[in-house]
Amino acid sequence: MAKSLSARNIVKRYGGVVALSDGNLDVSTGEVVALIGANGSGKSTMSKVINGVVVLDGGQLLLDDKPAYFSSPQAAKNMGIATVFQELSLIPQMTVAENIWLTREPMTAFGTVNRILIKDKTEQLLSLFRGTYKTDLRPDDPVASLPPDEKQLIEILKAISFDPWMIILDEATASLDSRQVQRLFELIGAWKEADKAIVFISHRMEEIFSIADKYSVLRNGKTVGAGDMKDIDDKELVKLMIEKESVFSFSRADSKNGKKEKPVCLEVKDLRTDSLHGVSFSVHEGELVGIGGLRGQGQRDLLLSLFGDVPYSGTVNLFGNEIRLRHPREAMKLGMALVPGDRAREGLLYIRSILENLQLPSWAQYGFPLRIGKAKRDAEQAGASLNLKMAGLQEPVSSLSGGNAQKVVLGKWLMRKPKLLLLDDPTKGVDVGTKAEFYALLTQLCSEGKTILFYSSTDEELVGLCDRVLVVHDGLIRTELSGASLTKENLIGASLGVSNEGVR
Amino acid sequence: MKKRITWDFLMARYPAFFPLILLVLSIAVNLFLQPNMFVRETLNSNMRVFLPLIILAVGQAIVLLGGGIDISVGGVVSIINTILATRVGLDGSSEKMWQFVLISLVAGALAGAINGFFIAYLRLQPIITTYATSFLYAGLALFILPNPGGGIPADIANLYRTSTPLGLPLAFYVIVILLLIWMYVSSTRYGKYLFAVGGKADAAYETAVPVTRVQFSIYVISGFMAALAGIAITMLSGSGNAEIGSSMTLNSITAVVIGGNAFSGGIGGVTGPVMGAVTLSLIQNIISFGHINTWWETLVKATIIVVALAAPGVINLIRRRRV
Repeated sequence: MAKSLSARNIVKRYGGVVALSDGNLDVSTGEVVALIGANGSGKSTMSKVINGVVVLDGGQLLLDDKPAYFSSPQAAKNMGIATVFQELSLIPQMTVAENIWLTREPMTAFGTVNRILIKDKTEQLLSLFRGTYKTDLRPDDPVASLPPDEKQLIEILKAISFDPWMIILDEATASLDSRQVQRLFELIGAWKEADKAIVFISHRMEEIFSIADKYSVLRNGKTVGAGDMKDIDDKELVKLMIEKESVFSFSRADSKNGKKEKPVCLEVKDLRTDSLHGVSFSVHEGELVGIGGLRGQGQRDLLLSLFGDVPYSGTVNLFGNEIRLRHPREAMKLGMALVPGDRAREGLLYIRSILENLQLPSWAQYGFPLRIGKAKRDAEQAGASLNLKMAGLQEPVSSLSGGNAQKVVLGKWLMRKPKLLLLDDPTKGVDVGTKAEFYALLTQLCSEGKTILFYSSTDEELVGLCDRVLVVHDGLIRTELSGASLTKENLIGASLGVSNEGVR
Repeated sequence: MKKRITWDFLMARYPAFFPLILLVLSIAVNLFLQPNMFVRETLNSNMRVFLPLIILAVGQAIVLLGGGIDISVGGVVSIINTILATRVGLDGSSEKMWQFVLISLVAGALAGAINGFFIAYLRLQPIITTYATSFLYAGLALFILPNPGGGIPADIANLYRTSTPLGLPLAFYVIVILLLIWMYVSSTRYGKYLFAVGGKADAAYETAVPVTRVQFSIYVISGFMAALAGIAITMLSGSGNAEIGSSMTLNSITAVVIGGNAFSGGIGGVTGPVMGAVTLSLIQNIISFGHINTWWETLVKATIIVVALAAPGVINLIRRRRV
């Protein structure tokens, strides 16, 4: 049975801020519609209107061409609309099975949850992604013990567990690795065959082109274009999104050969932690070295241990001196900075002001009592140099879009003028325009002589931006790619643990 | 793949593991000081003293699991005690007693419902709300019975004090029934909702869990359990005193936390808190049998409790250092 949902001229205001001024979207069963737009363009609001999380201020929703109204997420759910939330709706203390079936548990005649049935049903769902889990994932594992990608997979399974006709995937691929994304796409294909409608929201252009049938582009709360994917290419899409074409043209700082003569900044020998099994490499001053590989192969531990945040064994030399860090404070003193992977939790004090966030590592410089005026001026300057779009320094960081929030994380470290920057997937969930600014900034920092170690889950970035890429697989550096061998094919091959010769 | 049984695994999977160690330790020390501890009379006289706190801890455990806290339970205990002591009286009939037991249970649930209404429906802070109502309830108890006195019929009090069906103390059966009920409740849908609301209320709401109703219910349960504890303590003492519950609130919270439940909600159960309440009571016992000077009593007791609470954290710290 063909079903369809249309959103017409949707208006949504949050206080005085207009999130959507003219949002339109048409979805029918058997197709994948990509909802595209830069951060802050209204994508998330659009999906929240469709799934009933927010109530719209204008326009209307049509379900099978009849006006419809969703007063709560539950109302939308009852109409068969499922959402995979970007902020996870899982309860960390509960098990995988309990989370997936919460409120819909299979019951026994005695009014208790049927443990055998709930386990079987969960096993069935889990088997959809079997082979892409890093852990030995079982229905009675607590969700808190899972890595972020597997939490995201559970979130997806939870959404499809009540057999909806429409599935909204809001940035669902942002924390998945390439194998998991591939499996998800196979599933989306199968759902399409089974006559389900899919709304796909993603920042990754290649994903959109490989899976979507139709597109709908939002810019500043307005739908500025919609049509079939086959009639458009990525350049045109990006143009629609930002009216600026040259986004993904990477430029490396200067010729790579010169850097080898510079002194060695960081030398790591036989680094071991719980998830690293003996990693050795060295980085020259002014180099931009990428760390690649599938998600969760030890990249995070590598950056954290270099920053003194997790215990490790092995030797680390910084500018020829052996260092042994026990606390991030010591790393900061040596001129290191870490942009962590989860900016909401580790990178920022979300409800505090932009000023406080920017100055958090630097307050010691401002004496006692604090010279607030100077701190403000410095923060203004840092904000301006990063092109930070904000209403004022006193605004909470939570008022910023993802890209601008990430600028604050980077800015708070740049104010300390670090020599070595450790970046853990800094462009995750950041819109295309801000990404381009980030790339330019990183190249500029390198040409100023700063050294950068850069983990990214986006292969294009590593290939386009880095001088060298170390590919981590299962806690070891399997391959080092540079120069002519630094291609996307080689990177993906090495990520999957295939040897270089195996990749054509 | 076989999982190795490690300290972390035990602590994560069985929150009641550490309280069990504490319980065994305190039993061992107690047995050393009081060798006849497991003789029927001694066991019964201990257990009947422990029972009110155990019941209170069960109610408090449910509240903490659901992400709240109830500071008013001591006040409810006092109200129930004063109601029974003034309305039934030393020469009251047993019909009258049981009638007022029922009334007490309803009153307890009502007191809890008042807390629940403020917290779940008006969205007030649990700790502030129940702190405020604790004075309301304690004040009401003083209003009912300004000076200690009154009482319940001695034969009914003795029923509680001396019954040992099949050679085991009455309290033992009450504990078993409470644990059986918990085992059932925790595997019902309501049990899952309880953990979900305590774990992450926002996520539970997005998943269509009736968050408000669950939050309301935990305070009703807590009030009901406080009434039950009030009835038990009245039968134990046989008389009325409006101050009787005031020291029990903090003890109930301590028992639950010693019992391995997370203060932040969503982790733990009821078995741990029951063990925690027994441990706490045994510590009191140890102090009196260890002939510790009364002046030192509070200090010694508090030290033992602080050490017991800090121990899991200290063990984790030492384990981290070793890596």
